[in-house]
Amino acid sequence: MSIITRKKSGSKRRKVPASQRTWSIGFLTLAIAVYIFYTYIVPHTPDGFQSQIQTWFPPSALNEALVWVIAALGLNIVVGYAGLLDLGFVAFWAIGGYTAGWFMSGFFYQLNIHFGSESPKTFPGIHLSFWIVLLLGALICAFFGILIGAPTLRLKSDYLAIVTLGFGEIIPQVFVNGENIHGFNLSNGTKGISPVDNIGLFGKRLGPFDLNYKYMIFVFMAALMVFISLRLRSGRLGRAWLAIREDELAASMMGVPLMKTKLSAYAVGAISGGLAGVAYATHVNGIFAERFQFSISIILLAMVVLGGMGNVWGVMVGALLIAWVNSTGLPALGNEINSTFNTNINFPSYTFLIFGGLLILMMLFRREGILPESRLKMVLHENDDDVDNEAPHKNISEEEAL
Amino acid sequence: MTKLTRVVSVVAAVSMVATAFVAAAVPSQAAAVKTLVIATDLPLQGSSFDSNDSTNKAIALYLKSVGGMAGKFKITLKYYDDATATAGAWDAGQCTQNAQNHVANKSEVAVIGTYNSGCAKIEVPILNQDPKGPMLMVSQANTNPGLTKSWNPGEPDVYYPTGTRNYARVCTTDDNQGSAAAQFAKSIGVKSVYVLNDTQTYGQGVAQAFTTEAKKQGITVLSSGPAGQGWDTLQSDYTALFQKIAPLNPDMVYFGGIYDNNGGQLLKAKVAVLGDNVKVKLMAPDGFTGYPQFNSDPNADGAYLSFAGLSNELLVKNSPKGAGAKFLASYKKTYKKDPVGSYPIYGVAALQVILAAIAKSDGTRKSITENVFSGLGITIPANQSVLGKALHISTLTGDTTAKDITIEQVTGGQEQTLKAWTVK
Repeated sequence: MSIITRKKSGSKRRKVPASQRTWSIGFLTLAIAVYIFYTYIVPHTPDGFQSQIQTWFPPSALNEALVWVIAALGLNIVVGYAGLLDLGFVAFWAIGGYTAGWFMSGFFYQLNIHFGSESPKTFPGIHLSFWIVLLLGALICAFFGILIGAPTLRLKSDYLAIVTLGFGEIIPQVFVNGENIHGFNLSNGTKGISPVDNIGLFGKRLGPFDLNYKYMIFVFMAALMVFISLRLRSGRLGRAWLAIREDELAASMMGVPLMKTKLSAYAVGAISGGLAGVAYATHVNGIFAERFQFSISIILLAMVVLGGMGNVWGVMVGALLIAWVNSTGLPALGNEINSTFNTNINFPSYTFLIFGGLLILMMLFRREGILPESRLKMVLHENDDDVDNEAPHKNISEEEAL
Repeated sequence: MTKLTRVVSVVAAVSMVATAFVAAAVPSQAAAVKTLVIATDLPLQGSSFDSNDSTNKAIALYLKSVGGMAGKFKITLKYYDDATATAGAWDAGQCTQNAQNHVANKSEVAVIGTYNSGCAKIEVPILNQDPKGPMLMVSQANTNPGLTKSWNPGEPDVYYPTGTRNYARVCTTDDNQGSAAAQFAKSIGVKSVYVLNDTQTYGQGVAQAFTTEAKKQGITVLSSGPAGQGWDTLQSDYTALFQKIAPLNPDMVYFGGIYDNNGGQLLKAKVAVLGDNVKVKLMAPDGFTGYPQFNSDPNADGAYLSFAGLSNELLVKNSPKGAGAKFLASYKKTYKKDPVGSYPIYGVAALQVILAAIAKSDGTRKSITENVFSGLGITIPANQSVLGKALHISTLTGDTTAKDITIEQVTGGQEQTLKAWTVK
């Protein structure tokens, strides 16, 4: 199997960039269109329309969904590319968030360090520029990614998942209990750290209503992660990840350095989690330990799997969709139905029922996700009798027949 | 299907949805009476659903009973949920989003909520910076002192970036509850006390207030630290903890925290090591009230509990013909059952404050908030207040003057109301 995929990857590599370029242009166009729509068109529409937009697609929900996208793109590298099942991704989100909490707020009020931040110089605490904190968050998370990755290197599949699950439970718990570590207050416990500084952009402080600027920043961050994902994917490292995903033993026989490759997957994935964490902290203007539960890891994993493991665009669609359903879609739909039919059904409480049912249906009928990665699709439909007429598929069955 | 057709179909679907919304959004006819929207912002998922659902129902019922009007304005309600299914409880992201939506929805003028103090700490600063505001928020359930008064470093000013207040509450705070408990302890002859807390915001808050007031009352506090000794909520047994306490011979042990945080085990170890609640008294805040499991535990017999606000029973008992009793009766008549807990009636009190502020205002957010925080402020007279006594909101802090605490005792598996305690 792995030899076949290997053979394919040569011809595929030249084909991928063209279609990816189409997608990239599409992504940018859509992002700009959404920006123009919210900034220039919505304010001039009738009130009724504006309130419909507020109910169904509030700009704030869009920004939060983008944070999910950034995190899901990171998990996609670990799970989708390198095939390492990670059930504790929430840990990186938490670490990134606390990085923002430590370096962008008055939390360490004993100190007074200001660098590049727009907050007044008289405020005590550490106040670094948002952009520096992004970098710091990425670095700290990359470090923890390697730290968490290191002991898991000898493990495979289920065992690996259990260990990552363990880390995902430990780290948020450290933040919950980190109020008094031998007299040192690391995290402020369940009280959390708030408020976090506003983002400074060209001398302007982005307040809670500058959602359009934040939107642009988050889009830029997502685009950066897409860029990193795509470039790595088509490079040497990305191909090594795919080789490990398909067959670890075969990959190592072919000379892929397992340790280095796996660790870099964890590190790059963690960077993304860190960026998401910092973005999230600035979005909610604070960071709260109790939020980082196991369910966040699972939702992220569902975004990756539902959207299409290994395909950044699929993951993006999956993340936007699930984040929207979770925060806005279902409650809004519920209210609409309740007010139309004069019923009193608590729709959000059925989220997991609907969600679980959807996952089962997806796995039964479209295992590869909404927008699948072509390679994964081929693998999953290898033995289907009712083949569709896509050319690559045929090739692979022919090759296998040989 | 090729990539192109896929893209085209997605675009087509999106534009169809967009058209549907445009079609749905026919501008409403300008009514002669201006309609204002009051939002409720409560977690409608997870363990507090029942209580908050009752609150929404109670608010709707009360608004209907006053004809849906406040002064010359017509009032409608809009319900927000600050919980997400993912979190199973209030969610910081959802609170942010709700706050931004409150500000963005032009017809909204005030918010009732939130239920959780943590969520309020996110929403209040956003509503405070509303360019057309600040926008008023009145909570029926936030008991964390830091929202309105000096508590942790920087509080409460960090929540009011513009420097003007926009947050009020109709329930009293954890520090009052802790103080009342300490005053009550003094009144029953307690001379020394050992304070425990569950290391969470609420538990530490009440324990700290209890410790401070106990010292002021001349009670010897045997535990060290401002909020006493923390108990690890994940520990399976606390015998060692109480064996450490036993040689100190306290008259009373105070559990500052929530029963859910392993309170059952803590209670078991307390009685096993120190003896029953007559020998060494036990007192706990309202984090231990409303749990049938706690009340029916033989170890809990004789324990004292405090409760922020007045229980529904006490409300009816105090003024059987008052507005509160009448309202509770009409709630039962309409929904065929009693509201869950006491927060629904406090939700109605929050609505009364907002309606009074709107009636005095010109209908803008700014003016509504100003009417609460300047001049005479808002007072709901005793004959109208559902809390059975006059309710005044302090124009300086936004706190209520009705600092009622109910003291209860567990006897025969039931919480029995001992007395209402007004904080001195």
